[in-house]
Order: sequence, then structure tokens, then C-alpha cells
Amino acid sequence: MTPLDRKLRFAYMDHWRIDGPQGHVSQYSSRQLCDQFLKQIAALGFEAIETFDFHLGLFAELFGSLVNARTFLQERGIERVLSLFHAVMYRNGVSQAHDRATHDGLYNHAHQVARSAEGLGVLNLIVMPAGQYYDVEPVSDDKIRACAELWSRVGKMTLDYGIRTCCHHEFYCGIHHAEQIRKFYEWSDPRYVFWYCDTAQHQIAGIDPVDLYRKLHERCGGFHLKDTHHVDQVDDYRQRPESEVTAKTTRRWFWEIGTREGLVDFPALFAAMKEFGYAGWVSVEHDKADIGGGNYPDSTAIAAWYLRNVLQKIYA
Amino acid sequence: MRDQHISATGPIRWGYGFNQWKLGWQGFARLDDNVRALKITSAAGFRHVELSAGTGPWDPLGRPESLAQHFGSVRQFALQLPAWGLGGIPGLFFDPGQLSFEEGHFGLKTTAAADHPLLLQQAAVLGRGLAELGGEYLVLQPLPSYCQIGALDDTTLKTAAQLINALAAANHALGLQTHLHLDALSALRTVEQLDQLLAWCAAPNIGLALDTAELTIAGHDVVDFYRRYHSRITHFHFKDALAVDTLGEYQLPHAERALILAGGSRQIPRWFGELGTGLVDFKALLAAMKEFGYRGWVIVESDRGPQPVSSSVLLNSWYVQNVLNPLLS
Repeated sequence: MTPLDRKLRFAYMDHWRIDGPQGHVSQYSSRQLCDQFLKQIAALGFEAIETFDFHLGLFAELFGSLVNARTFLQERGIERVLSLFHAVMYRNGVSQAHDRATHDGLYNHAHQVARSAEGLGVLNLIVMPAGQYYDVEPVSDDKIRACAELWSRVGKMTLDYGIRTCCHHEFYCGIHHAEQIRKFYEWSDPRYVFWYCDTAQHQIAGIDPVDLYRKLHERCGGFHLKDTHHVDQVDDYRQRPESEVTAKTTRRWFWEIGTREGLVDFPALFAAMKEFGYAGWVSVEHDKADIGGGNYPDSTAIAAWYLRNVLQKIYA
Repeated sequence: MRDQHISATGPIRWGYGFNQWKLGWQGFARLDDNVRALKITSAAGFRHVELSAGTGPWDPLGRPESLAQHFGSVRQFALQLPAWGLGGIPGLFFDPGQLSFEEGHFGLKTTAAADHPLLLQQAAVLGRGLAELGGEYLVLQPLPSYCQIGALDDTTLKTAAQLINALAAANHALGLQTHLHLDALSALRTVEQLDQLLAWCAAPNIGLALDTAELTIAGHDVVDFYRRYHSRITHFHFKDALAVDTLGEYQLPHAERALILAGGSRQIPRWFGELGTGLVDFKALLAAMKEFGYRGWVIVESDRGPQPVSSSVLLNSWYVQNVLNPLLS
């Protein structure tokens, strides 16, 4: 298969951190650290990275401009920053997607990010479409409709910048049960709101991501391929202060694809992607891979190994 | 995923060393950790791995007996390699100076005739296992370190040459080449000594393994070294050197600890680095290798760097893909 025959291109969603003489630091602390990070990602065969929107300022500061930053990436084999994860600071009374009174502020924030991203080649703005479950519950149809209205409005705006708005449902998100997700995509504008399939988040929430992909494949804007060894069975999703990092039951929720204990059926997912003709970018993620002594280079290499040796043989 | 183009079929056959993962006696002893490291090496684009001889129950890939214990047989291990994304095990690194539980010694010397029978017995076990794996060569540390035996004289050098010739003949009978690997601490210090050793070990199945970092630390310009010895150089270990032993501290007692690990009197924090980060001019070396038509394995190594090892493997992979490979086209 030649590169032109391939339907899929692969990106790395960046949670990378480095242990060095200064302790635990971000790879965006210096051009040298950034250089080493990008080379490791590119060496494995990834062609793009995804990162958080709060890194935009760091990129501009390190490289002088985002155009310069993209050149730095491309010189090392990374084509673009494919996606920005829009890190909304959901706060009751100030910024909640289910609270229409706060929509203008949320919209303006997203607008600022979309406008500021020019130069990096960003194609997706990924966002958790509602606040943490305990802030949203009881989750009513009206709250889901409010979220759908906000992100439809934002999605229409981001398309003006060539950026799709993609919603990503953390297992502790106010919209994460199957019926809530169904309603959200029914009530949001399919022209402007896309679904980002985070395999581990849905699995933890008790939803088979393959089934969900089969239902939402027409809305699918991309993937975060990561695995989990645990399903939330005791309503961890509504625990304070943040279920993903402080749940009493589970110290580490997320694992790289390709571990023996993983629960997500990735071969079935790739078979479904093939069946529905998905073409485009697929991202690998292993959020908080360093919990319990792991490290990002190991996890990223194992994920790349699994892609190259197992999943790409199903669909590439 | 983008194609990595780290070929093992061209004039230069790229592979990766497996010496960097072991952490102390009982570290890295689990088979699943070893398999994970092999997968990481494969993911980095290196599908061929040079193993290192090991010993005891803590080194599942270090001895044929260990492979048989874990996989049923050496052959079963070889059959498993494609499932891990690997093409093969071309060779094995063997330092007779390391202790062996199986042979019951705390290190043997090629320069001590009394050690030869046991050393040849050990090498034969490794050689037979390697041949069964489909390997092509054994890399031999041909001489003890200077701190162990002091300056070489003709008698000790000739004793080592006798061992090398006997060991290489046994390897040859198994279809294996023998590559002699000189490191920064070796008792062999001069080109005159090397010329003599090569003259005494003239068989075509015996060649030199040029380790770019070890020789740089020892004060050699590796490009000049290659130009001088290209007709006898049959193998390469590629790693960078971050400093040179300018004070001759290879002579320190227990130099492996005092110089390499502790850094010597200058407290050098790290001697070995990823390709392109240090003193070795790999571009010039590769140009010379092209000029003289080198055909054979080039084994990239990480050695004694900071954790995680995978980071070093990936950075070396990037350098091979983006800096060295374009020079070969």
C-alpha cells in the first residue's frame, strides 16, 4: 500500500511530560525540549500533534510566531497541530454550557482561540460540551438543548476559520450517558457540531465505543484512541473534585492502546471504520500515562507498535 | 503511520542493540518487560535486534537455555519474532569478562590461557544458540580492560589471538562471523597493537566492530580509524560520545566504575549520547563507508543514558531516518 492509498493518517494527542534535571517539566519549556519531543513523535510515524489551546501562547513565545512554530514542527516531520483541545473553565454562574446566560462569554472565548490559532494548521477544536456532571445534574433535556445551541453557534463560527468544532465526552461530563449523547447530537446542528470519539472515556462510562461509532459515524470528526482497564461501576463520574484524577476507586484510568488488560475492542472499531469508509486523521492518546511509574515515550511507542502491527492490518 | 524506511536489506543493514534496557542484577528480568522493549524497538523502525549475552534467571533473552525455558526452544523464540514486529536477531554481543552462573566463573580473560577452555565452552553454547536463531555474527570483546591486566605485551596479545582464532573457527563452523569490539577501557591502546592483533587473526571470518563512541572516548577519530582499517571492519556500533578520556583515566583501578559510571576526576556526567548530539561526525563516517563500499550491519545503540530508554531509541531513530538515510540515497 502506498501512502496515497491510505485512508488514515495518524496524530498524537499531547499529554507528554519529561523528567529531567529540573524534575517534571513540559516539553514546551524550551526549544530544545520541544525539538526532542517532536522528533520522538515523528520517528514513530505520527504526522501531526494535537495539544491544548493554552499552549498557543507558549508556541508564540518560543518561536516568535505560530507560523514559525509550524515551520519548526515541519522541519522535524510533523505537518501541523491538527487539533486544539479547548480547555473551558466551566464555572457555575460564569461559564456553563447548559446555562444560556453564560453563552456569550463561552462563545467569545472560543472565538478568541479560533482566531489566535492561525498559522498552526489547526483543523479541529475539541471541547467537552458540558461541565462536570455534578455541576450539571440533574441533566434535563433543556440543559442538553442549551449545550447543543452553544456548540452549534460556536461550530458555525469556527468553520469560518477552517476549524471544525468536535465534542468529546469525558466520562464525568454532564453529557456522557448514551441517551444524553443521542439527544445532544440530535439537537445540535450536524453542519457545525462533530463528535470526537474518545474510546476510553466512553468505555469507562459503560458505552461500547464501537456501537457508538456505528450510530454516530456520520458525525465523527476524529478519534482519541486510548484504552482503559476499568469501567465506572460506582458513579465515580459524579465525584468531586474531578473524577478523572481524584476518583477513590481508580488511580489510573487511561492506558495506551495495545495493553493486554485493555477493554476497548480496537480491532472491531477499525473494522467498523473500514465498513463506513472513514477517511482522515486518527489520533492516539494516553492521558496521564506516567501515573504509577509509566512514561510517555514508552506508552507512545507501544501505541505506535499496536497501530502498525495490528490495527493498520485491519484498516489503513 | 508514515513509512520509516529503516532498511535491513540494503548495503547498510540497520539494527538496534539490546544492551541498554538491563537495570542492575534483577531489573528487567520479566519476560513481558523484555517483549515490551522489543516492541518499542520495532515501533522505532528497527526490526532487527542485536542481543547481549547474559546469565542467570534474570536475563530471559541472554542465553539459549533461558530462551528455551521461556519459549520451549530457541527455535520457538525465533518463530515468535514476527508477531512482535521483528525480522530477526542478526547477532549477539559477548563480553567474556562478565560473570556467568552457567559456566561458574566471575569473568574470564582472553589473555589467560588457563581460561580458554571454559571461555570456548561458553562461546560454543552462545554460538550454537545464535546459529539456531538464524544469527549471522558474534561480537566479541577480545581483550580485558587495561585496569584488569595493565599494558599488553606480545605474549598476552598472542594468547588472546589464539583464543580469538579458536573461537572464530568454531563460530565459522556454525556459519557465524566474529567481530572484535574494542571499547574505551580496553587494554589494547595503540594502532601498533591492533595491527599486530589483526595480523595474528587474519582469517576472513574475523573482522573489527567499530564502536563509534567507545573509540572516540579512547581518543580516536573514528573516520580516520575507519579509513585506516576499512578492509578489516565488518561491523559497526553507532552511538555518540559526549567526552574524550583526555586524562588517560582508563588506567584507573576499576575504571568501569571510576571512569564510566563515576565520570573520573572531571566527573563527566554522561559519556554516551544519542546520534548527532556529541563528538562523532556520523555524516563524514557514512560518506567514508559509502566510499569504501561498506556492506553489513550497523547496530545503533543507546548506552547508559537517562531513563526512559525508549526516548533514546526514538531520538536515534529520528536521526537515522532524517539525517543518515538521506545520505545513503
